[in-house]
Amino acid sequence: MDFILQGFLKAIDLLVTGDPETFSAVYATLVVSADSIAASLVLGLPLGFCLGHFDFTGKRLLRLAVDTGLALPTVFIGLVVYAFLTQRGPLGGLGLLFTLPGIAIGLTILALPIVIALSATAVEGMDRKLRVTLISLGADRRQLFLGTVWEARHGILAAGLTAFGRVLTEVGIAMMVGGNIKWQTRTVTTAIALETNKGEFAAGIALGLVLLIIAFSVTLSVSFLRKRY
Amino acid sequence: MGGFLYEISGLRQVYRTQPVLHIDRLEIPQGAIVGVIGPNGGGKSTLLKLIGFVEKPSAGKILFKGKPAEPFAPQVRLQVTLMPQEPFLLKRTVFNNVAYGLNVRKDTDTIKERVHEALAWVGLNGRDFEGRPWYALSGGEAQRVALASRLILKPEVLLLDEPTANVDAMSSQLIKDAALKARQEWGTTLIIASHDWQWLHEVADSTLHLFKGRLSGTGRETILFGPWEVLGDGRWCKRLPDGQRLPVPQPPDDNSAALIANAVLRAGAGEATSIALPAVSGIVTRLALDNSSGDVLVSISAGGLPFMVALEQQQPRQLGIYPGRTVSVCYNPADVTWV
Repeated sequence: MDFILQGFLKAIDLLVTGDPETFSAVYATLVVSADSIAASLVLGLPLGFCLGHFDFTGKRLLRLAVDTGLALPTVFIGLVVYAFLTQRGPLGGLGLLFTLPGIAIGLTILALPIVIALSATAVEGMDRKLRVTLISLGADRRQLFLGTVWEARHGILAAGLTAFGRVLTEVGIAMMVGGNIKWQTRTVTTAIALETNKGEFAAGIALGLVLLIIAFSVTLSVSFLRKRY
Repeated sequence: MGGFLYEISGLRQVYRTQPVLHIDRLEIPQGAIVGVIGPNGGGKSTLLKLIGFVEKPSAGKILFKGKPAEPFAPQVRLQVTLMPQEPFLLKRTVFNNVAYGLNVRKDTDTIKERVHEALAWVGLNGRDFEGRPWYALSGGEAQRVALASRLILKPEVLLLDEPTANVDAMSSQLIKDAALKARQEWGTTLIIASHDWQWLHEVADSTLHLFKGRLSGTGRETILFGPWEVLGDGRWCKRLPDGQRLPVPQPPDDNSAALIANAVLRAGAGEATSIALPAVSGIVTRLALDNSSGDVLVSISAGGLPFMVALEQQQPRQLGIYPGRTVSVCYNPADVTWV
């Protein structure tokens, strides 16, 4: 049991003293999480709105595909992104393999189905009278989209939060696409995996605590936003 | 009143494969108050959605001020507003609900005063209500906030779908007053679907009667639904719950409804036997003034079914017609049409 207690103490020490290696991993985690969540929201929200709002041929099939995307194994995503970004791959010339943007691309692919599926469900669950109300009060198509998204804001926030939780705790993509390079692409989760392999449980627990603090801070902020709006 | 605000031709609406509205021709003058009456599922809400430009018709043409219009078209988007049947408020405060329409128009000068004024029109105090969230309102208050958010727009056309259904008497009166005031002050054309036919007949310049998605009659007819019974001699009739029988022509099918026009009222149940026309005995339940014709509409409950007879303005006094009086309703079977 001592190593668990030591882990807590070490976590506090690492955070209070501003350990550069820890903060490098935290920085990498925050950058790839923020980038991938931003990208998945920008791409996923309009797609989720369309999927939830409109009736069109092939909607069920598309919904099935998106729902399947929810269960995509992260190592598979990592493998596919690796194959595209490697020197021999179609996007090899971009030099994104073993970089933070490379990890962010993989994480975006992971988060996108979550944002699309959950925001589509949130929009689908809106009262049919909302559309009539917004149009009859003078909304044009853009205002109808914004108004519906705003009305579904709590469901959409939950979609973003779920995607964030998945992205923040992801290991496979970060490991395969990022390569776990110290000071560069090592994230908190890949660092935990490494420290545990080395038998450094205390360091692993310390990094795990850091991850928890990040998750708690984000959830607290979202909870505050929900109450405020 | 000017020319026709709406000119509708060949209007059809089909939901999946189910036809719900079929109007060959309809014209609505500018500045009019038009009542839309009819049973549930008759197509009232569909008609209001189509002429409120929140839905596209399956077929047909709607001209607004002489020009074809459709949802989101600029000439109708900011001038025509519909209040749907059940109050629906955005998940925001009362202030933001009422101000929404002005915000989308980017017309935000003196917005606070205008929100307060619109709320005052429907009997709500702006200071007390502006900060309330959407869920902290009673049904009547929510309906009034929904109306205020339309009135603030000073619309050219205000479509109200069952505005007084499911609200308390005070809210109902405030909603009615506010709608009529809009017409009086801004010349707003009012198109109102309501089960409160007494009120509609009192205020409307004209009344549309929608039945099974079609315009039928004037709304002053009695409607009888099946089942229809064939007698031993091959004649058809409707048997009322109290055992009275009404002869009718042979119905086209079991689902047809009979529209009885030109029914005549005889004071005293006994008189019915002295005339050749078939008659049914019932009790007067209501008298209402028909604004468009000046007639008095008499509601009679016969065997638990509602009948309607139009009388000239002085006739109720002459015949001694008042609620509670037993009367006979006579009709000519030749005046029965099937819908």
